[in-house]
Amino acid sequence: MSRFFRAKPASGIAAKSRFLKDVSDSEESDSDEKREVKSAKDKKLDALELSVKTIENAKKINEWVAIQNGNAKPLGTFGIPRIYIKTIASLEDFLNESLQKEKEAKKKMNATQAKALNSMKNKIKKIIRQFEDEVGKWRQNPILTEDEEIEDDEDLGEFVKSTKKSSIKKNNELYATEFNDEEGFEQVGKGNKPIEYTSENLFKKLREIMEARGKKNTDRLEQIKILQKLLGVAATPYQKIRVLLALIPAQFDYNPSMSNYMNVDMWKNTQEEIKQLLTILETNPHFIIREYVEEEVEDKEPVIESGQTFGIRGSIVSFIDRLDDEFIKSLQNIDPHTTDYVDRLKDETELYATIVRGQIHFEKNELNESTSRVVMRRLEHLYYKPDQVIQTVENTVNLLYPSGVSSSITPSEITQDSSVLIRALCVYLYKNGESLLRTRAMLCHIYHHALHNRFYTARDMLLMSHLQDNIQLSDVGTQILHNRTMVQVGLCAFREGMIKESQSCLQEICGTGRVKELLAQGLQIQKYSQLPPEQEKLDRQRQLPFHMHINLELLECAYLTCSMLLEIPAMAAAGSNPEARKKVISKPFRRMLDYNERQVFSGPPENTRDHIMGAAKALAAGEWQKCQELIGAIKIWDLMPETQKIKEMLNRKIQEEGLRTYLFTYSSYYTTFGLEQLSTMFSLPLNTVTSIVSKMIWNEELAASLDQINNVVVLHRVEPTKVQQLSLMFAEKAFSFVEANERTLEQKQLSGQNQRDQQRQKGQSNQQQNTEKRTTYQKRDGQQQRGRNNFNNVLGNSVRGRTQQNRYRS
Amino acid sequence: MAATYDLTPNLIPYLDRHLVFPLLEFLSMRKIYPEIDLLKAKYELLAKTNMVDFISILYKTIHDTEEVPSEFTTKRNEVLQNLENLQTEAQRVLDLIENPEVIAALRQDKLQNLNFLKEKYGLTDEMVNSLYQFGQFQYNCGNYEGASDMLYHFRVLSTDHELNISALWGKLASDILDSNWEAALEEVHKLKEIIDQRNFASPLHQLQQRTWFIHWSIFVFFNHPKGRDNIIDLFLSPSYINTIQTACPWILRYLTTAVVTNKRRKNILKDLVKIIQQESYEYRDPITEFIESLYVKFDFEGAQRKLKECEEVLSNDFFLVATLQEFVENARHLISETYCRIHLKIDISGLSQTLNLDQEAGEKWIVNLIRDTRVDAKIDFKENTVIMNQNHTSIYQQVIERTKGLSFRSQVLASTIEKH
Repeated sequence: MSRFFRAKPASGIAAKSRFLKDVSDSEESDSDEKREVKSAKDKKLDALELSVKTIENAKKINEWVAIQNGNAKPLGTFGIPRIYIKTIASLEDFLNESLQKEKEAKKKMNATQAKALNSMKNKIKKIIRQFEDEVGKWRQNPILTEDEEIEDDEDLGEFVKSTKKSSIKKNNELYATEFNDEEGFEQVGKGNKPIEYTSENLFKKLREIMEARGKKNTDRLEQIKILQKLLGVAATPYQKIRVLLALIPAQFDYNPSMSNYMNVDMWKNTQEEIKQLLTILETNPHFIIREYVEEEVEDKEPVIESGQTFGIRGSIVSFIDRLDDEFIKSLQNIDPHTTDYVDRLKDETELYATIVRGQIHFEKNELNESTSRVVMRRLEHLYYKPDQVIQTVENTVNLLYPSGVSSSITPSEITQDSSVLIRALCVYLYKNGESLLRTRAMLCHIYHHALHNRFYTARDMLLMSHLQDNIQLSDVGTQILHNRTMVQVGLCAFREGMIKESQSCLQEICGTGRVKELLAQGLQIQKYSQLPPEQEKLDRQRQLPFHMHINLELLECAYLTCSMLLEIPAMAAAGSNPEARKKVISKPFRRMLDYNERQVFSGPPENTRDHIMGAAKALAAGEWQKCQELIGAIKIWDLMPETQKIKEMLNRKIQEEGLRTYLFTYSSYYTTFGLEQLSTMFSLPLNTVTSIVSKMIWNEELAASLDQINNVVVLHRVEPTKVQQLSLMFAEKAFSFVEANERTLEQKQLSGQNQRDQQRQKGQSNQQQNTEKRTTYQKRDGQQQRGRNNFNNVLGNSVRGRTQQNRYRS
Repeated sequence: MAATYDLTPNLIPYLDRHLVFPLLEFLSMRKIYPEIDLLKAKYELLAKTNMVDFISILYKTIHDTEEVPSEFTTKRNEVLQNLENLQTEAQRVLDLIENPEVIAALRQDKLQNLNFLKEKYGLTDEMVNSLYQFGQFQYNCGNYEGASDMLYHFRVLSTDHELNISALWGKLASDILDSNWEAALEEVHKLKEIIDQRNFASPLHQLQQRTWFIHWSIFVFFNHPKGRDNIIDLFLSPSYINTIQTACPWILRYLTTAVVTNKRRKNILKDLVKIIQQESYEYRDPITEFIESLYVKFDFEGAQRKLKECEEVLSNDFFLVATLQEFVENARHLISETYCRIHLKIDISGLSQTLNLDQEAGEKWIVNLIRDTRVDAKIDFKENTVIMNQNHTSIYQQVIERTKGLSFRSQVLASTIEKH
């Protein structure tokens, strides 16, 4: 095949020039003109080139019919161009090779192909004989540069010389264009004239570019380069602003695909340019960039009277938004475990500084809508971060812009304290933002409170804002934020030792088994249903960058521990009563426990789950010390602040719940328990034991009473015998049977009633509706109607509603 | 301690100047704060009212002089002048209304009445409003009875909604200060209706109105004999408990006291305990802590300690000082009731200690308790214990209980089917 490749460069040139002639739109008019003056010979030459090209292509795919057709043409009357000889020679080689191959592998070609091959064999033989000398010459010296070839061509014969010249000239010209293309297109225009960019014709050029923007064949990179040149020559602030307003979007447009992220270098350039734009605007306060301005004179330097402002159409806030989006997109795509990610993350400070600067700018110019958007961006960069990080970032920002620029929303004094800062930002949004921004600000605020262990504040805000009632109506992004907030509130409750609250917060998210998806921290692999590709694409876009993630293992660990502390005593309390056993607090926990119990051999615990399951079994058996040990051995606790305190809290809870479990499990086998004995068994202080027992008695969980004289718990509970239990069940069933009967009859009567009865019924139901309306009305007036009384229920309900509606909504 | 649990500073922002005065009076009586501070506070409080004579006396005591700045005298003259003017204006309307012919002609419909008066007797809107102004002026002067009267007349005549409401507030304040509790209770109900029904521009405004209303109504509820039933109903209704939780958690003290002192409403305790538990991070005082240690922690000794503190706090609270005895009595009841429900055998001396009574009084107390609440218990004199008789239902009984009505219900069912 070496021959085949060798032949290529020579013909490639011809192909290339042809290609340029036919395809390039910009050159179209030129070549049309040229064609008219072509001589007949030139035309033939062109035709020859074309057929060579065809042959070359056909060779590649072993298409002998096409080769035969292509070959028939060039045998014209006038001279033999070098290229033709070369083609023939290579064709011969190829032919021999193919024949060889054909012999080896029989029945490979179909009939037409074989026929064409044979006829070609004959034809080539004939032609080779005809041009024996030339072919021989070419074979001796097959490697030719393009110039040599052209010279050769000229040498070939006097008669082609004059025609050749024009073609060569044309070739050269095209090469020149192409060459310039690579070096920098801007210097040569359509008519081969050099173009200069000066500040005088800047507006004209700018307009040209603006018109070309978004068209099909516009080279985006080229445009960016032109604009950068223009920026270099722009003299006045106005010109600079105008160029920047074109350049920044052009750079954003460079990457048309939604899934790819912007080149980091280009991103940095763009950021610099936005900063430059802001600087210009800061130093020239009479220019204001607004989204809506009256019809402006575009191509002239405006005349500005002193004290007046001049509006320019544009939107800086959209630039900042886009810059931020691109940043997030790049983080989504970079592998978080590489140094690239960390490097990229370092740019956040700069970005944040730009956002703050934008905020100050908008504030000064009273662009309220932009301000709230940019404040929201700022908040979203802050809310999930710990205090130290926020402080460092704020300090850097202060250093970057020390000179007198300060914001009225966030004066530099308050940026030192993260809580105050976040509060200030949120309060601004509550007052000025539109409803979506308000909702998001509220969620961020709650998240921040939860992060700082202010559970009650977070809870009250969550409930009083009634966010959960209508969160299912909002967009997916906000719902994800809501889920994140709920999880954080749950973790906060856990840290504060409020097991029940924590469990109820985490239940809906962790109970679904789609935690990753609900928190947008990775795609869940669907077992049974394949997601449509668009859906998956969208999901991918929503993913949070790694540094914002909530640790899922920690989350699961907290959830399962809470479930254990609640579920094990509840299971013990249910005892053998089948009805009570059905009430499940945490389904995933039960499932895991069942699975664990079914195992024939259980080895030493390896992961978090194993530890918790082991602990649960120990707790159920009353071995609270083993339970404590297992829970304490979980490594992930180290990720929580104040690990020791949390472990102590858990140990205490385990002791208490252990005591409760013990009492539930063994109450039917004892008549009395010594309080002191219980206290030593679970190493709890005596009055705590008394208090726990008293509580259980008061809540009628435990049929017992205290004997103050002997310091014992007297148990009254008797385990029902089998017969008793069955009779209880029977009674229960008979009861529900009668109920069902009555209900059926009622329905029958309703449908079969006579007219009057129906009317009466209607009246009643109307009345009922009225009263209902009144109650709902009463419920609605006043903001804090629902209040905090039914915290747990509220949490459950609203989230549950969402699970049914949309797969994202839980 | 008395000062730490004093709620007056919390209450003052939600009360009218005149309503604050009795609170300050009470504080100076209890001597919790330095006398001079209270005097100054009183002076500040009343400086803007028209009670010029009283202010000048206060000024004298504070500055310890006989001299009074001349502005007082001028103000006094102004006030008297104003009073006279307003009185003459209002008098015209009053004369008109008191005319027996007019009274006979008046009907239920306000608008009709007004038109009738306007046509026949040349009554104008300004004249009606002068009643309001006169009422307000009299109130400012400390003549509450007169103010209440004027505002009553105004409310009968006027159709201006806004002014009507503020007249209602004014009348409530006048009645409270005049210790006319029957009338005040009536006003409270009227006002509540208006606040609940009206559509407020913003929920925040409504919340504010409710908060004010809650504070003002305490005056009435703790003075009117039927008040303590009402306060429970009102404050535990969902919208008001929400207001309390959001805006003024300290009101829980009054609510708790009302619930504890009310013997017939024991079933509410459970709700209250829940609310107290929820709010414990925002508000706690010995009274809520008493409930908490009794019903959440079941720490009887702690409850006992808290009860002692409660006595102190209650005796220093303007509203609750009258309920002190009742509260302690009822609190003991609660303690012993809970105690008995949990325990099987109780040492009498231990219990009397818990109840803060001596041995003999304790025994008497228990006997009374057994008699009153019909606790199934006996005293074993020899061992000095009380033995509770537990009555738990046997399974046999449970089954009977459950299936009792079933056959009858089925019969009814069968007969209905036959009929059709």
